[in-house]
Amino acid sequence: MKRSNDLLVGAIVLLVVLTLTGATLWVKQTDIGERRSKVVARFRDVGNARVGNAVVIRGVRAGTIEAIELARGGWVHVRMNLDRSMQLPSGPVVLLNESSLFGEWQATITPRSALPHDETVQAQVSESSGGGEVLPGAILPDIAKLTAVAGQIAGDVANVAGRVEVAFDERAARELRSSIRNFADLSTTLNHTVRTHAGDLDTLSRGLQSAVKSLNQTAASAAQIAGRVDSSSSSGEIRQIVDDMSHAAAELRRTSAQVRAMSEQLSATQSRLDAFLTNGDSVLVKLNSGQGSLGLLLNDPSLYHNSDSLLTQLRGLVTEVRTNPKKFVSVRIF
Amino acid sequence: MTNASSVLPEVSLGARRVVRPGRVLTTLGRVTRRGLEGIGALTRFTARTLEAVRDVRTWGPLATLHMRRVGVDSLPIGLFIAVFTGIVLSLLASYSFTGAVPLYFVGTLVEKTITMELAPVLTALVLAGRVGANIAAELGTMRVTEQIDALETLGYDPHAYLVVPRVLSGVVMFPVVVGAAMMLGVASGWIASIGLLDLSSADFVKGVRLFFSAFDIRYGLVKSASFGLMVTLIGSIRGLRASGGAEGVGRAATSAVVYSAVLILLLDAFWAITWLLGSER
Repeated sequence: MKRSNDLLVGAIVLLVVLTLTGATLWVKQTDIGERRSKVVARFRDVGNARVGNAVVIRGVRAGTIEAIELARGGWVHVRMNLDRSMQLPSGPVVLLNESSLFGEWQATITPRSALPHDETVQAQVSESSGGGEVLPGAILPDIAKLTAVAGQIAGDVANVAGRVEVAFDERAARELRSSIRNFADLSTTLNHTVRTHAGDLDTLSRGLQSAVKSLNQTAASAAQIAGRVDSSSSSGEIRQIVDDMSHAAAELRRTSAQVRAMSEQLSATQSRLDAFLTNGDSVLVKLNSGQGSLGLLLNDPSLYHNSDSLLTQLRGLVTEVRTNPKKFVSVRIF
Repeated sequence: MTNASSVLPEVSLGARRVVRPGRVLTTLGRVTRRGLEGIGALTRFTARTLEAVRDVRTWGPLATLHMRRVGVDSLPIGLFIAVFTGIVLSLLASYSFTGAVPLYFVGTLVEKTITMELAPVLTALVLAGRVGANIAAELGTMRVTEQIDALETLGYDPHAYLVVPRVLSGVVMFPVVVGAAMMLGVASGWIASIGLLDLSSADFVKGVRLFFSAFDIRYGLVKSASFGLMVTLIGSIRGLRASGGAEGVGRAATSAVVYSAVLILLLDAFWAITWLLGSER
């Protein structure tokens, strides 16, 4: 009985101790048998980085922080163990940064060329470089620092706002209101002016556009003519053109003689027309002065009245003849 | 049956009762004296037990027997509690973390809570009922049946023969039971997270590893050892001081459980204040 108690208790104790130790080592990812490579980086400050935090290369977890210890020269050495299969990037730099908003930190091994464009980080890396096999390191600002800076900015803004409140009294407000009103008036005037001159500007612009277009066309024509002249002179067509032009001049001479003859004939015709018009004019003068029968007919109103009265009577006579023809015509055959 | 006329005179008499300052002071003094007596008795008892540890020949052969009774036989109940604690804790954590906190923190919460608090305290409370009451009843029975007097007559030191093996088994086996409870509690929380929650195994492990420190285990085990010491000491002292026959034994067992439970919680607070407050690991 006593022996079985010893065995049972011993087995249970051993089992629990071994299991608990194994579980602890597994959770801690302890490197048993030195199967991992060691990398050391140095920093001026490690923030909230702790032993056991992840080490990341290109976003992939590659190991853990094994130890953080103070070193000479005001440095803090961070020793990391990495999987042996992991290849460090060229010119490796270790950045300590927060990996989440819940206080979780990580060490990121990155090439120097991929460092963030931050003067502070660059300065930290430059300062921590040259440590031999110890990698240079820098710490990125954590949320708390960023929040502190934001808080400081907010305080400054509040301070400025307070000063503005002091400077911006009722009188300043009145003046500002007046200035705004004046500015509105000025704006209206400017608007009107611009609108007035907008048409002129459009016209001017169109004119300019047209002129430029004409110039372009002229230039093109000139170029074309130059081209033609060039081609003509080169192909011996000038002679032909000169011959054509002399032929055309002879034709023009002949035509101008014909035109001249026609002009003489026209001159004679014009003389006759002048005489005709002079005679017509004298006739018309006579008519207007009431000379002759036609002049009297045109100028004597009594004659017009008489004629009109005669026409009225004739119209009445014709009407009566139509209504009662037997009164005026009596036809007897037998 | 009570009528109004019989009640009223008592009320009026009660109303006329004068509270004397001297009586209050007397009560206060009595309570203080009993408290100090208790502390003194416990200190003397502890000192005698430590002294008796030297008598290995007496308690040595009995140690594994008590270890089996205190530890191995208590494993099933301790593990049963741990399993359900882990399951409930993971579900409770996922319920609390809705939206705002990433779900992998379930692993962190389960690991931290189980290893540092729930496994040691709940197991100790259960063992206080099982082991503390058992020790008090056993020693009380021996006391009232004068077996302890007989031991003394035979030249045995009752502390070396009865108390030391029990106390040592408590100190050694409580951490064993608690260690097993820690592992099973976290494992059950892990399985519950995978099976009942939308959480992958990798995420749970990530949460466990996130803030895990060997200190968590150390803290829980040291705390449970202190609980074991306290439960067995209280059970022993109440049992050895039992009097009045079977009724006295019953009272000793009851008071052993009550005192043990109270002292476990006080010790828990003590460890938290002395070890956790302001500590940086």
